[in-house]
Amino acid sequence: MNQIEIQYFAVLRERAGLSRETVQTAAATAADLYDELSRRHAFGLPRGMLRVAVNDEFADWSHPLTAGDRVVFIPPVAGG
Amino acid sequence: MQAFSFSSTPLDPEHCRAGLADAGAGGYASFEGWVRDHNEGRTVERLEYEAFEALAVKEGERIVAEAVARFGVKHAACVHRVGPLGIGELAVWVGVSSAHRGEAFAACRYIIDGVKHRVPIWKKEHYTDGDSGWVNCERCAAAGQTGPAPGGSGHQHEHGHDHPDPAPLFRHDYSRQTALPEVGPAGQARLAAASVLVIGAGGLGVPVLQYLAAAGVGRLTIVDGDRVEASNLHRQPLYGVADVGRTKAVAAAERLRELNRDVELRAVDSHATPENIDALVAGHDMVVECTDNFRAKFLVNDAVVRAQKPAVFASVHQYEGHLQAYRPLPHWPCMRCLWPAAPRDGLVGNCAEAGVLGPVPGALGAMQAVQALKRLLGLDAGETPALVMVDLLSLQTRRLEARRDAACDHERIGAAEPQGAAPLELSFATLAEAFESGLELVDIRETWERMHDPPGLQIPTHLPLSALVNGYVEFPTEGRYLIVCAHGVRSLSVTEQLRAQGLTEVYSLKGGLAALRS
Repeated sequence: MNQIEIQYFAVLRERAGLSRETVQTAAATAADLYDELSRRHAFGLPRGMLRVAVNDEFADWSHPLTAGDRVVFIPPVAGG
Repeated sequence: MQAFSFSSTPLDPEHCRAGLADAGAGGYASFEGWVRDHNEGRTVERLEYEAFEALAVKEGERIVAEAVARFGVKHAACVHRVGPLGIGELAVWVGVSSAHRGEAFAACRYIIDGVKHRVPIWKKEHYTDGDSGWVNCERCAAAGQTGPAPGGSGHQHEHGHDHPDPAPLFRHDYSRQTALPEVGPAGQARLAAASVLVIGAGGLGVPVLQYLAAAGVGRLTIVDGDRVEASNLHRQPLYGVADVGRTKAVAAAERLRELNRDVELRAVDSHATPENIDALVAGHDMVVECTDNFRAKFLVNDAVVRAQKPAVFASVHQYEGHLQAYRPLPHWPCMRCLWPAAPRDGLVGNCAEAGVLGPVPGALGAMQAVQALKRLLGLDAGETPALVMVDLLSLQTRRLEARRDAACDHERIGAAEPQGAAPLELSFATLAEAFESGLELVDIRETWERMHDPPGLQIPTHLPLSALVNGYVEFPTEGRYLIVCAHGVRSLSVTEQLRAQGLTEVYSLKGGLAALRS
């Protein structure tokens, strides 16, 4: 299990009802983590539509997670 | 002859105009101001002019010099009477000689308006009832009378005479930005020469437009097909209650005209579409994307990648926003590199669905304006591509370095066929052949460039680019034209701009006149 810090933005923040949380997870990759959290918070947004950043850098969904990583899920934003 | 002078003896226009003679002048325009027999409903018998001559001559000469420089005329002069004058006497004379009549008329108007407004001259009117009074424009200002009518170009006083609108004579003061060592007069000139396409005049577009107009960006085109709604005002304070129901693009252009007369504003009151986007982008140096939907954002993205024009994108959601710049450099990502699965509208919420605090788009729009000015001023050397995320509740800003997505084929985006676009350039072997095409030839070279044209190779219709750019002449909104310049560069740029303005049958002579003669 790894301890991961997560930050949510825009519509994900709304649906999760929080802007950040720290989770203990067995997720091996960013994709696994999103799927796990998406089930918990009922995000309802396909992963392909989002971008993920690990430790302040854009990452592939296959990016392996290590303890202490900071993960940010970024949905696109359209308002103007 | 002296550019500006006073005379205490009656003026002779024949004598005055002799000093304007020039073999290169094809026209002469003059204005004569006469003493009339009434003012403010009172009958005037005679009057006296008095001037603070030392100051007045300097200011008058300045006005004449400005007119000569601004309109490129040959010679100009103004003589004003001082002392007692009777009804019908010539009080002021302005004369201009020029290669062409348009510049002569415009310069003449500029001089008389400037003299009336800026030169310290007082007029004492003697009325038939024995009374008399001093009259000058300061009195009008002191009386706090009505300012310029909205959109009007002058104002009428109760005492029955017109004054030129002072706004055209107001010189915008950019000193607080030219004081920046990175800007300076050269940077200001770059801004004045720049053209920016702003797509969307809503929460983001409003601050973008206000700041770019205020900064003195030479040309702004506003694209928005929406009308102002009451629910817009909390985040689009460029508009007022009276604008509700009006087209945003038109209302915005009107307000911005009041802000800065240096800026040439054009309102396009329709949305960006696949049909019009390429023509819109083509006429501009850069694009600022301020819409509220993904369809438009990707439409604009594809167009700037095709046209290889820089752009600044932003979006907001409730209390946060995204900012991303595009530059036409090989390593630079586009919006599709970042968001390969073009998101569908409606899934992630726009301002109408999700709500937004007014200053949030205001802050992001202001950031877009900074990025746009930075690009126009060339202050972005060494910048690396990034997605900037701003959370205005926590005041956290996150900058994520962005990279080109190898799977995102900019060549393919670039090759996508711009719809409905006719070729911009046409080639002809001779000028005669061009005339036979049925297109009206329009020479946009400057007056001095035309002076050495050989006989038989002259184009009657002449709209010099400097006059077009400064808005002294307007291009007709209908017709079929072939735009001509020396080498086909300026004409192509004008053609692109006219296409963007909706003229469909306008072309540029490929290679210009040089290509014809060789």
